[in-house]
Amino acid sequence: MNDSSWSIFVVLLVLLSFILVGLRQKSRESQEYGFGGRYTGRIGGGAAIASNWMSAASLMGLAGIIYLRGYQGLAYVIGWTGGYVLLLVLLASQIRRFGKFTTPEFVGERYGSPAARLIAAVIAIAISVIYCVAQFKGIGLIFSFMFDIGYEQGVTYGALAVVSYLVVSGALGVPRNQQLQYLVICVAFIVPLMWLARKLGYFWLLPQFGYGRALTDLSREFHVDFTLPFAGDSLFEWCALCFTLMVGTGGLPHVLSRFYTVPNVRDARWSVVWGLFFIALIYWSAPAFAVFGRLLEARQGIAFTPETARATADVIALKTALMAGLPGWLVGVLAAGALSAAFFTVAGLLMTGASSISHDIYYSFVNPKASETSRMQVAKGGTLVLAALVLLVALNPPGLIAEITAVAFALAGNTIFPLFLLGIWWDRANRYGAIAGMFTGVLCTVAQPLFGGVLPGLTSYFPVTASALCGAPLVICVMIAVSLATPAPPEEMRRFLEQEVHGHLD
Amino acid sequence: MSHPEKRHKVNLFRPKEGHMRDEVHIILAILFGWGVCTFGFQFLVYACRGTGAGSLLTRLTLFNLPLHFWFTGQFLPLWFIVLCVIFNIYVDRISEYHSRKRDKSYE
Repeated sequence: MNDSSWSIFVVLLVLLSFILVGLRQKSRESQEYGFGGRYTGRIGGGAAIASNWMSAASLMGLAGIIYLRGYQGLAYVIGWTGGYVLLLVLLASQIRRFGKFTTPEFVGERYGSPAARLIAAVIAIAISVIYCVAQFKGIGLIFSFMFDIGYEQGVTYGALAVVSYLVVSGALGVPRNQQLQYLVICVAFIVPLMWLARKLGYFWLLPQFGYGRALTDLSREFHVDFTLPFAGDSLFEWCALCFTLMVGTGGLPHVLSRFYTVPNVRDARWSVVWGLFFIALIYWSAPAFAVFGRLLEARQGIAFTPETARATADVIALKTALMAGLPGWLVGVLAAGALSAAFFTVAGLLMTGASSISHDIYYSFVNPKASETSRMQVAKGGTLVLAALVLLVALNPPGLIAEITAVAFALAGNTIFPLFLLGIWWDRANRYGAIAGMFTGVLCTVAQPLFGGVLPGLTSYFPVTASALCGAPLVICVMIAVSLATPAPPEEMRRFLEQEVHGHLD
Repeated sequence: MSHPEKRHKVNLFRPKEGHMRDEVHIILAILFGWGVCTFGFQFLVYACRGTGAGSLLTRLTLFNLPLHFWFTGQFLPLWFIVLCVIFNIYVDRISEYHSRKRDKSYE
């Protein structure tokens, strides 16, 4: 077998094994409920949080953006880990005690407004779609890499594969075993990295530290200073990006709903810590791929021009493995890890988005008398429509994987994060404030692409990937002002907040 | 703020006595540690560019990485984990303290 058929073989093996393990788990679960994998303690909960989080952006995009932009790329590492601190201290236990599982449900209940719920559902679906575009780009790149075909073909085949996976796993009722997924993704990312470090002669046992010497070699042999702070970008841009990704983490619908899979608030809190640790393991490793990639390219005399670098950035991890001459099966393992991360993120997001269409929009708003069957049909149709929409955008992706993902984070940070923050920590926030806040948030997110040409000042304050540094505080101010100017929310909700959400120990 | 007599109030900056006040104190302390290390350090690196302190920050190496790169890329994620652990230990402790206090008052 040649290298690419090895990759295909390993990838297929991994995907098949997930279905088989899922089926086995399903038959066992009927006898010993809860043992097979739904919940296995704080560490298991943490692995589930991490696997839910791991996507093409973490496994491909992160290395790509650091390869391209050096120190500026670290804003992604910090944004995507530091957001969990915000999430833990400000929201995790409170939203669990609030007891609403999805973002639209929380918004509808807290602000007592079907209109707010509808807008929140549309925003949550928009976030999922943007997030999925980035994943589809990742899947398309891996498919075109494995089968040696063009990107457009790759992304189309990838979309077909995801939809058929959803159909098969839906028909078989395969549960997602997220602990197993995390383990596979983590091993598939770190083992090739260790191999790489060893092959290049660096400290391979902990390549996360070993790449330091590669960085020194890069600057000594080729005078490439990878670490120069704020070289091409300003301090404001760094901080804006970092802050946006942090508040976006605190507002991502599929991350917020994770706190319901553990049995109590204390375990929910501790599983966030484990989740963060598991995420950090990957995020400490990603820069190493970027540095090794730059070093190997420099050694092979490949010129680093902005255009070529941008074209290869998203596949730099795979390219590095190939350039170093890693065995084919190991490149396959790396591809399988990245592909399963992207695959399951897409599957989860499409399903959540579709159920939101069916439940929050169709059933709650369009046709409250809809039967179970027709709601099911709407959900299935919704999956296909969302997948088609994502595919359409992904055929001509507007940026790097990490950049597209950042836009989803900006939207979440500008809309959902303030909504949850004030909804939980300020009893006076009401439906008018919530609706005004969501509209302001959406405007802040699209300010640069839509109005940047007319008002150039907007471009510097609301850059499309980093609009939440100015956007989120603005939205919070709008929410406060509008809430104070309009009637207070019902006393019942304020009592619920005080007694159930915050006063559980008084 | 025009209805000071309202019985039910939730406000991050005016927490009510008891568990919530303790919780808000630790939240603000953690957020301080989070903000200062993340953004404060970047300000420091930026402000010290071209000075002796600046070159100290970018030339001094740790694990073969320049100090600022090591701090941002490796130490900060670890620092976030530490912050989360401190928060959880503290909240576990105040939850136990207040639930013991509450149980006694019910007896």
